[in-house]
Amino acid sequence: MSKFSELIKSFSKSREYVRDFFVYGFKTREEFHGWSSRTYDNERRRLESWLSGYVRQDYTEKGKNIHLSIDSSLQDVNPLYRVWKAKSFTDNDIMLHFYVLDVLLESPGQTADQIADIILSKHNILFDAQMVRRKCNQYAAEGILEKEKHGRKTHYRPGLPLRKLLSAYPALEHAIKLFQLSSPLGILGSSLMDNGSFSNNLFLTKHNFFVHTLEDEMLFPILQAMHEKKAVSLHIKSAKSGKPSELEGAPLKIFTSTRTGRRYLCLYLTQAKRFANVRMDAIKAVKPKDSCPDYETILKKLERNKHMAWGVSFQNNGRFRCEQVKLTFQIQSACETHILQRLRREGKGGAIRQIAPDTYTYETTVFDTNEMLPWLRTFTGRILSAESDSGHLEQRFQKDFLTMYRMYFQE
Amino acid sequence: MAELFSEVYNCYFQVIQSLVKQKSSLSKQELSHCIQNTCFEESILYLLPRLTEKKWGFYEEKDGILHSRLSENFCVPLTNLQKSYLKAILMDEKIGLFLEEEEIRAINAAFSDIRPLFLPGDFYYYDRFSDKDDYMEPEYRKHFRTILAAIQNKEYLDIAYESRTNHRLRHNYLPCRLEYSIKNDCFRLLALRSHAKQPNTVVTLNLRRIKETAPTGVTLPQLPDINRLLSSSCCQEPVRLLIKDRRNALERAMLQFANYRKNTRKLDADTYECLIYYKKDTETELLIEILSFGPMIRVTGNEAFLTLLKERLAKQAAFTPKFRKT
Repeated sequence: MSKFSELIKSFSKSREYVRDFFVYGFKTREEFHGWSSRTYDNERRRLESWLSGYVRQDYTEKGKNIHLSIDSSLQDVNPLYRVWKAKSFTDNDIMLHFYVLDVLLESPGQTADQIADIILSKHNILFDAQMVRRKCNQYAAEGILEKEKHGRKTHYRPGLPLRKLLSAYPALEHAIKLFQLSSPLGILGSSLMDNGSFSNNLFLTKHNFFVHTLEDEMLFPILQAMHEKKAVSLHIKSAKSGKPSELEGAPLKIFTSTRTGRRYLCLYLTQAKRFANVRMDAIKAVKPKDSCPDYETILKKLERNKHMAWGVSFQNNGRFRCEQVKLTFQIQSACETHILQRLRREGKGGAIRQIAPDTYTYETTVFDTNEMLPWLRTFTGRILSAESDSGHLEQRFQKDFLTMYRMYFQE
Repeated sequence: MAELFSEVYNCYFQVIQSLVKQKSSLSKQELSHCIQNTCFEESILYLLPRLTEKKWGFYEEKDGILHSRLSENFCVPLTNLQKSYLKAILMDEKIGLFLEEEEIRAINAAFSDIRPLFLPGDFYYYDRFSDKDDYMEPEYRKHFRTILAAIQNKEYLDIAYESRTNHRLRHNYLPCRLEYSIKNDCFRLLALRSHAKQPNTVVTLNLRRIKETAPTGVTLPQLPDINRLLSSSCCQEPVRLLIKDRRNALERAMLQFANYRKNTRKLDADTYECLIYYKKDTETELLIEILSFGPMIRVTGNEAFLTLLKERLAKQAAFTPKFRKT
């Protein structure tokens, strides 16, 4: 029987577990289909170890139920970053990390043989010079060390330390404290805080979906492909049905919702000649492919079209390519200016007009009116009409509203 | 290709690095304490023996005290990924709140061979509010920096503020945190008001409405625990939701409410109960978020929240043809 370790080799399996615990927060062992009991127990134990302080337990008829309880507006750092800090390593990895850097910080510009000799004389530990060279080359590739060729010999010296940068630009430390919470790939900001041994005592964030960090392993190669204007092949597992599929296209942009917590990759599907959005949490593997010769042209096309997508849909299932929408609201001009302000700031540039006392219209053009429905419902109590070319918007709103009304007043 | 999931960022490596930098010698208790504070819950079982025995040899024990065998100047240089991340955040317009143009240019020049990890145009926040703060505005930057300094110095500020109703207010505040809203793309100051009737009530001021800031010279030895104060401002009774798992509603709701403190349990085959803990000042926001789900979510409590929801439905019924006829 293998010994339990809180460290892991691969991120992908634990990512699924943490996501399910974080997002759903209520799955018992029996509800994690497709995993053995042993796997569940080990993953749960790891999660409890990584995120102690955020894990709550309660007991239901179905058994012990552990869940994560995190109010993102009260966190100085995203607790889910801890999963990124659990990569397993060997004894040689950690020893070489500290001894090689220690030697080079004291005496920069040594060869691998010289480093091995100094470690032996200073610390009385024997490392094979070949092993030291491999570690030095790995660290040179990661940017931690710099390489210099002197004839046939390679000399290594340490790269730029964070403290040197922060002593020249102290305010950068404050910027890191903000961006580690609010920017994409904030895990690297958090690693900079670890490196500089400082913590965030200045900023909090609101409307922050911490779960996005679990998608960063996929986001990273996608961004690289975008910058290199390359196509990608994606292995996808549908969030709804769980069905696996493959998709190939040119990655163009990451569409992010600040309200629903969803992130999508917007691709151009070369064969189908259309844009499509794939949920980031459904992407399980990314393979870079060949360069896309028309990348810039496609990207410009997306820029021209994206304002007509209310959310992430570029298609309309009906006979219209896009639909005119006209919403009419009752808003008291004197005391409900905040509602008008909402229309202005959330309405994506739609035209707002007063057509009668306390009556306003909002007009826009969108590809898919279905995507407007959740937003429209947030104005419940003020909606006089919701016209669209197909009429579907009003029909769906009224149908759902009647169901809701009955639910609260007639059941 | 550099790896994002790498042992270089492992928390064991970080705790050792931090210990070596801070202290050349320490007791086993201090070491245990530091591991427990920095690493995972079970890390101590693995890490303590390897650091106190001869396994890795980073410490040498003499008279019960551990002496570091590594240089006190020990540090880990930046990885390319970290430099690439720094280059990316230098392209964000909010960086101007911290650094001057020439500083940004100089850092960029130091990393001239590194490409930014991401570009502002790589991301499109399709439902973000359009009335964002103006980070380029000199007065805004000035207030931002004054507030940052005040938080660090634990110093009261004299702040003139324009309310929503355009009234000018002036009070002394103790700035505790700056809160950045990703949805609104704006900053708010979380502060305690001097001489307030309820001294531990956190007030929120929109940074764009702050008109003047001036240090008062009055400082405190320690800032209050703002997170505890904010946490205690949550309503006693959570909102209680019943979610029918149709049209993918459960997954949508769980994700959308993932940034609230919540607890969910399964009631039957397709019904779930979710308790959401919220602050009074975000009640309206939560209400409209719940309304956006339509009939997929049913609020069953608390009574005050349920009343608010029913009021909106009753108002809407008055505009609905079916109800107008009856």
